[in-house]
Amino acid sequence: MAQGTTVPKLNFEYWLDKAIEWGQATTLESQKDVCLHLPQLQEFLHQIYETLKHMDSIVAIQQFPLIGQLLGRLCWNPFVIGYDESQKTLMWCLCCLYSSEPQNPVELKANSWIRSLLCHLLSSSKWESNEAETSTFISTLGYTSADYYCHLVKNMVFPLVTELRGNQFNGLNIQGRVSASHVNAVSLFCVPLITLPDLTPLLETLLLYHGGTSKEILSSEFLEAVNEAFLKKKISLPESAVFSLWLRHLPSLEKATLYLLDQLVTIQFNSLEEVACVIKDSLLPQAASHPAIFRIVNEIFKNALLETDGTPEVMTVIQVFTQLFLQAHQNENKRKFPLKAYFPYHHQPLLTALLRRPFELPTTYWSQHLKHISDMLKALVEDTNISSLADLFEIWFLVARFGEWLDIAAEQLLKAAVEPDALLWLLAFYYCPQNENQQRTQTMVEAQAVYKHLKMLFSCTVLSVKHLEAAVHGIMNIEQRCNQHLITHLLTNFLLFSSGGHMIAQEFICHVTETTDRSKEVCSLLIRSAYRINHNGEENQGTVKLLNELLQKLTLKV
Amino acid sequence: MEAVLEQVEQLPALLAVSRSALVRDWDALTLDRALEWGRYFQHLHDRFRTRPRLREALGRRLRRGQPSPLLGFPHLGRCPQLLGLALLENRALPPAACRRLIRGLLQPAGAEAGPEPRSLALLARRKAASRLLALPSGPPRTPEGMAPQLRTEAQLLLSRLREEVQEAEPAGEAAGRLRWLSGVLEELPQPRAFEVVAAALLLLLRPGSDAEQAGDRGRDGKSLDRNQASATGDEGVAGLLLSWLLGNLERFSAFCLFLPGSLLVSLAGHYSQLSRPYLDLLTGWGSRLLYDPLQGRWVKSCLDKAELSWEELRERFTCLCQGSALLRGQTQAALKLLKARDGDFTVCGLSVWTDLQMEVEEYLRKEAKR
Repeated sequence: MAQGTTVPKLNFEYWLDKAIEWGQATTLESQKDVCLHLPQLQEFLHQIYETLKHMDSIVAIQQFPLIGQLLGRLCWNPFVIGYDESQKTLMWCLCCLYSSEPQNPVELKANSWIRSLLCHLLSSSKWESNEAETSTFISTLGYTSADYYCHLVKNMVFPLVTELRGNQFNGLNIQGRVSASHVNAVSLFCVPLITLPDLTPLLETLLLYHGGTSKEILSSEFLEAVNEAFLKKKISLPESAVFSLWLRHLPSLEKATLYLLDQLVTIQFNSLEEVACVIKDSLLPQAASHPAIFRIVNEIFKNALLETDGTPEVMTVIQVFTQLFLQAHQNENKRKFPLKAYFPYHHQPLLTALLRRPFELPTTYWSQHLKHISDMLKALVEDTNISSLADLFEIWFLVARFGEWLDIAAEQLLKAAVEPDALLWLLAFYYCPQNENQQRTQTMVEAQAVYKHLKMLFSCTVLSVKHLEAAVHGIMNIEQRCNQHLITHLLTNFLLFSSGGHMIAQEFICHVTETTDRSKEVCSLLIRSAYRINHNGEENQGTVKLLNELLQKLTLKV
Repeated sequence: MEAVLEQVEQLPALLAVSRSALVRDWDALTLDRALEWGRYFQHLHDRFRTRPRLREALGRRLRRGQPSPLLGFPHLGRCPQLLGLALLENRALPPAACRRLIRGLLQPAGAEAGPEPRSLALLARRKAASRLLALPSGPPRTPEGMAPQLRTEAQLLLSRLREEVQEAEPAGEAAGRLRWLSGVLEELPQPRAFEVVAAALLLLLRPGSDAEQAGDRGRDGKSLDRNQASATGDEGVAGLLLSWLLGNLERFSAFCLFLPGSLLVSLAGHYSQLSRPYLDLLTGWGSRLLYDPLQGRWVKSCLDKAELSWEELRERFTCLCQGSALLRGQTQAALKLLKARDGDFTVCGLSVWTDLQMEVEEYLRKEAKR
């Protein structure tokens, strides 16, 4: 928008007109309008400052003759002055216009006027009669307006907070001591001040305030602005206040979820711990303990997955989110909804099985549990009732979000002595849920072949890359993408968990990353394995060491 | 150390100059130097805050240079703002210096990684906030709540007084301190001064909520038994304020006239030094009322505004009887005594005290029934 060093003249007139229209922002319409325009105005002021700072004050006035009017009017609008950094930029602009060597009465007058404006902003103003007495008193005491206003703001916030909180204890707003329009007005006037630390108690109280009506009392400008400030980490609020915000204002919740997804997908993460950290900080998993919030977030995740065609990054985020959600739910002390309440439309036994966390079961039991899940799933999916694609997607999404179990299935196939078919079917379903053209069946067949091959090689202590070439050909030549994913998954686990695989792991993965486009996927698999191992702790040292080395190398390249 | 003390002694002079017309001759360089001094003093403050002996030494030296205790050690910490804002308001400052000043104010030199309260942008923001928060005209504030401006002025006054009582040399300085307090309070129009003093006395009764808000700057560094120090400090402060109130009869009389009865009762209930003088005052006003048989009521002998009317007097006594048990007892005893002195009449129109006592008791009876 900024075009070099010239501020488009059109904008100037626009903002001057706005400033005139707003006046001192005494009517409700003007107040709402100011609140809407605050961020753009700040940007505009910044642009002006950038232009002015290279100019002499005389040149500045020549180029922007109306600037005095604009700045002067804005200085009288407390919404503008109270907002974020606007006051700083305004004062800097005034500073630029101040002439250090006034040549004529006009300049002298301008200087004097600028001086008065600054006094108006910072200390006592000659334009406000009631300030004169107080300011002499304060300065005789040895304090400045800085001290005075510091205390004054606190003293103004405190009764507002008490007034609002007091109403809560009355239960229903029968007495009507605080009217809805009053609360709405207060919320509007807080909009510019959201990032002012003194106001945090008031923000909190407002967010937790519930009047007697079912309609939203707080102004939407306020709710949006608070959400924005929270997402950008400009303020910190207690969890209860944030949850209340999201529960009462759907757009804020949506924005928060999309913001989280955006953050996680654009930044390259080296470990799932980092991802988990970011997700936890967003407070969304904790908020999702409210079923209403869970439902919305769920929908957004589903849409994101569909829109991005199931990219592994988004899937990983959803999986980690689900884990964190379960953790938060477990830690929740107050009234809890049973987990089934969050997944109401699903087959209950399957859900219960998926909800078991791996650490709740002995490792020896894992393959049995997985078989159980696989069998149930198979029965569900092959049942003719599940005809629509949407239903299939719902089931698939449920299974996919508990990605931990899927990863364990792949591991168990190679590490433990298991009956492979059920587990292979589970993985085949995950990577290829649809079967209209027998894609899944085909996948299953090919997977079985690869698996047999790998199982044979498992006990070999000395391997060379050539031995695995057959499998590599499998990745490169097979057209079906779902097969490529499945085989990559099996291969990676093979390299991690077989002693022969350890030897050639580095070389092989190098080869794969150079000749195919599977490197991101492999990286993602390794990161997930690392995360799981770190949390479950049971793994032999050799594997851990190899994992770390591989990750180091890969994260440098990708 | 002596060098530092000598420098510190210059601060009052520096401030005085920055408020005077002498700045007329300042150029940008001089201004820079002045601001640098401000920062230097702030630096001294930060360094010596936690060293009681050095604090005291600096504080003492600072006072030496002033006729009345305008500044103490804590003011060193506020120096940049004190100087900066004083210079900004000084119209005699020439343009070149002024420009440098404005730049200096907006962009403090050195890493401003310190606490936010020192930023002037924050000041402007807070000032705007105070306007915004005053806007929503909701239901009228409950009477227990103090208006925010009043509370702020009272808090700052208390904060300063606490510093005085703790930092300055004790004992011998009492008279000087009282003079200083008088001078300070004279900066306000008298009714306001009364409100502020009353508010301050009330705030002293609630140390908890107030401690963090006011007086923080004055008391940082005192790691002594804080409760102990602050309790005796507060007593000293209350004593000082009461001395000011009671020291001058005219002033005290105006004080009692101006403030509402309920507030005075509240104060007298907690500060027993006030109850006797207040009662005496009311007695004096009451005795000057005359009975007008034509109108059938008590009227002022001369239409002097500096006295209470019958209705107001009655209201005052009623309030007193609704105060603490001690106060109620005192008041009723006083009324009884006065009535007896007048002749112990039971009929209206002869003694103002008879009538008062009758009406007050009537009112209280009605209240008790409800």
